[in-house]
Amino acid sequence: MTLTGLSVRIGFAASLLVGAVSHAYLYIHGYRHIPAIGTAFLIQASVSFALALLIVLGGPGWLRWAAAAVAGGSLGAFALSRTIGIFGFSERGWDPSPYAALSVCAEVLTVLLWAGLVANARRMKVV
Amino acid sequence: MTRGPHAMSRRQLIRHTAWFGAAVGFAVVGGEVVSHVADATAAEKAVGRPTLRFAQVSDSHIGFTGAPNPDVAGSFGHAIDQINNLGYTPDFVIHTGDLTHLSTPGQFDQVKQMLGGLKTPHVFTVPGEHDSVDDAGQKYRNAFGAGSVGDGWYSFDVAGVHVIALVNTLNLHKLGHLGVDQLEFVEKDVARLSSDTPIIVFSHIPLFAMYPDWGWGTDDAAQALSYLRRFASVTCLNGHVHQLFSKTEGNVTFYSGTTTAYPLPRPGDGPAPKPVTLPAGKLRDVLGVREVTYTKGETALALKEDRLQ
Repeated sequence: MTLTGLSVRIGFAASLLVGAVSHAYLYIHGYRHIPAIGTAFLIQASVSFALALLIVLGGPGWLRWAAAAVAGGSLGAFALSRTIGIFGFSERGWDPSPYAALSVCAEVLTVLLWAGLVANARRMKVV
Repeated sequence: MTRGPHAMSRRQLIRHTAWFGAAVGFAVVGGEVVSHVADATAAEKAVGRPTLRFAQVSDSHIGFTGAPNPDVAGSFGHAIDQINNLGYTPDFVIHTGDLTHLSTPGQFDQVKQMLGGLKTPHVFTVPGEHDSVDDAGQKYRNAFGAGSVGDGWYSFDVAGVHVIALVNTLNLHKLGHLGVDQLEFVEKDVARLSSDTPIIVFSHIPLFAMYPDWGWGTDDAAQALSYLRRFASVTCLNGHVHQLFSKTEGNVTFYSGTTTAYPLPRPGDGPAPKPVTLPAGKLRDVLGVREVTYTKGETALALKEDRLQ
């Protein structure tokens, strides 16, 4: 395991954990009462937590793909909630602050880390 | 059978299956922990029973006849039975408008009699546009206007919560409208309250721009909401749109409730919000009542949407 590989693993785990904690906090503090959204927040938090733990433990590559899918899905849901709504739910701007911004930053980082890995793997194949 | 260059050995398959199992297991454990913490937090804040429990029912449209629901009185009766069998007596029940379909004296009489069957100390109502078809709400106020001011708005305090009932259906052109008198009422009404008082506002038409093209919004709601910005928790409940929808704007959360009569299309789904006829047996899935619980110390109200059984 190289230092870069370890850093990427920790980066994945940290970004997933931040997203998980933000969603769990919001779930506990009121969002659990919002139909469909409450359940979605609980699933997001628990799946992100599990992926973070397994990635840091050195799990297989598909865990990173799953992490990117969860993060990307969360970003998509965030965008929908700020535009046309999702499951009859919508919010404005960066409310609830600072959890919305924290989650988005963490999820963007997860997706970027995944994109970096994919790009690197393709480059290695070409070389 | 030959194995391709990317074929997985049995050992690898077992290893991936184990990782997958661990992922599922940890996700379930994580979910359980978060749920447990949420329940424990709620239980810690709730000493005994919740501070306030009430039910919302909306858009009964008594007098409507048509394929979308040939028996609106029957489904409204079921909604009342359901509230009467919640397992507790709600502190009050609110009806967020369109009690009747065409505001006839007979329809008002019928809906008033039916609401009298609710096992609750108080029933509070606001008019919908269907309750003021031909008389600017006079028949509605004769039936339900006792204790209201102006054209039917009012407020009250219960269990430390301030509740405001607003009328935004009497002067509507396309969007709902509150008007100067009612805005002044709101401003004065909340001026005496401390900022930590939980506020509940209920009206017929949404106080947020849910879908202005169909009139699903209130043109001067921003003014009313500006008087409520300083409060830590503001919950706005409405009917009119015949479907569940929620929206959060800072300290204010809006919840559109469903109906006991017939569904309307999703916003923008079709040219106009006309009653939708569902396949046989599906109507009950979209009709319902709402339970609302407030526990002292919680910022948010807890909502539970109950399908009509």
